[in-house]
Amino acid sequence: MRSKKRGGHTPNLSTYEEVALPIVPAILPNLPGDAPAVGSLRVLLVEDEPADVELALRALRQAGFAAKGDVVQTPEEFTELVRKNSYDIILADYKLPNWNGLESVEILRREGLDIPVMMVSGALGELTAVECIKRGAADYVLKDDLARLPESVRRAMREKRLRDENKQGQDELARSNRDLEQFAYVASHDLQEPLRMVATYTQLLAERYKGKLDADADKYIHYAVDGALRMQVLVRDLLAFSRVGRQGTELATVDCNRVMETVLQNLEAATKESDAQVQYQQLPTVTADGSQLLQVLQNLIANAMKFHGTEPPIIHVACEKKGRDWVFSVADNGIGIAPEHAETIFVIFKRLHTRTEYPGSGIGLSICKKIVEHQGGRIWVESTPGHGCTFFFALPVQAAKQEAR
Amino acid sequence: MTLATPVPEVLLVDDNPADIDLTSEALVRSKRRLHISAVNDGSEAILFLRREGKYSDAPFPDLMLLDLNLPRKTGREVLSDVKGDAALSSIPVVIFSTSQAASDIAGSYKLGANCYLSKPSTLPDFLAAVQSMADFWLGFASLPVKEKR
Repeated sequence: MRSKKRGGHTPNLSTYEEVALPIVPAILPNLPGDAPAVGSLRVLLVEDEPADVELALRALRQAGFAAKGDVVQTPEEFTELVRKNSYDIILADYKLPNWNGLESVEILRREGLDIPVMMVSGALGELTAVECIKRGAADYVLKDDLARLPESVRRAMREKRLRDENKQGQDELARSNRDLEQFAYVASHDLQEPLRMVATYTQLLAERYKGKLDADADKYIHYAVDGALRMQVLVRDLLAFSRVGRQGTELATVDCNRVMETVLQNLEAATKESDAQVQYQQLPTVTADGSQLLQVLQNLIANAMKFHGTEPPIIHVACEKKGRDWVFSVADNGIGIAPEHAETIFVIFKRLHTRTEYPGSGIGLSICKKIVEHQGGRIWVESTPGHGCTFFFALPVQAAKQEAR
Repeated sequence: MTLATPVPEVLLVDDNPADIDLTSEALVRSKRRLHISAVNDGSEAILFLRREGKYSDAPFPDLMLLDLNLPRKTGREVLSDVKGDAALSSIPVVIFSTSQAASDIAGSYKLGANCYLSKPSTLPDFLAAVQSMADFWLGFASLPVKEKR
């Protein structure tokens, strides 16, 4: 919802930047009164008293701002003008005949605009002043202390510029993350086809010429086949990894007991093979993406079965509400994880064992991490080597509900 | 009077010569009596089927394996042409593509594909897929009798 609003108003923001950026350096030097004005300061005044409009603009001009002002007196006029023009600052009287100038803050928020609002008013009283700031006004200036206005405007605009830069940085980071995801997706997708050629034809060579060349040739072909098949697994996993998040999450009411039933069905073969016992008490119903929750639980339980010690695996699955989170846990009696590896195991393609000890590409936990973090949660492990480990993941109860709406 | 059953004609449409070879290899290994023809793009496929230009002597296929991503005329367009042409629409068309995209699969069936087969990524699976496909279409399935043309 938030991003939609931002997107819709991008043109306004960019107009603002084009107009405003040249001014900012010029007004930054703190020279009251005689700073040369470069460009103009577009002011929207919410004011019913023409004399007060004049006084406020004069105070700004005397401080070096080439202030140009529009005046509105009703919420409708205000909304119309902020939609039409781009303003650097808003000066709003607190008490107007028909509305409260502070409401302009609400209107800007609704319109998705970030323009500092200065309350300029007669005696406000401390409580009202605090209320103004709380509700999002940048500052308040008393009408009989207008000398304070220019400095206050400068500060509000500095803060606004920092907000813009911060947002720009965040946008850039988000964009570069998206680019990287896109790259991983395209690369893994497009690599599959040539890789299929390499895999099938080296296999065909192996089949047709085994024992007909020399021992070295057999060995080399075997290496090539093995490498190609491994790469196919990696590319397929990378593709699966890059799909998390691309497909979006569908939040719904999910009965975790049902999820566990499906997980156990899916893991039937592995359960039999490892002679595992999976135990859980009555689990809650949560708001989550069901298929992603299933994927995370299944990955963790499959790992618990795979990394067992000398004893057959006994796995406890639980979920309880802790503060604002649902905290799931998957505890096992397996080989455990040394504390120094508690972070690295979540890194894509990181493995702690050789492929002959334990098969796998090292994708499972990184997919779990990505899924959980996409839903605003976190995942971690606690372990004593030799005494099993417990994987925890927390999904926010509230955030999930908000997004579901 | 006995009539010798004609040798089934299989047309492969694929722009990747490696896949034509591999599919042919799999068909040959199936030990079935069959004759394979191959073309490398969609426009050629249509010329072949309509016996136009250099394909005036082309055999009428009993089964067609069609890749989706083809130069000039895509597999989708070829499929749509074949199924929209009364003279060709009875040919069983097996889409044989690397794509596993749900939209490609559903789209192909909607256009009248008779089967959608994803190209497996290892040799044993590839051979098994082509052979069971051939067993079904050229063995168990009853195909329309070809009209004289």
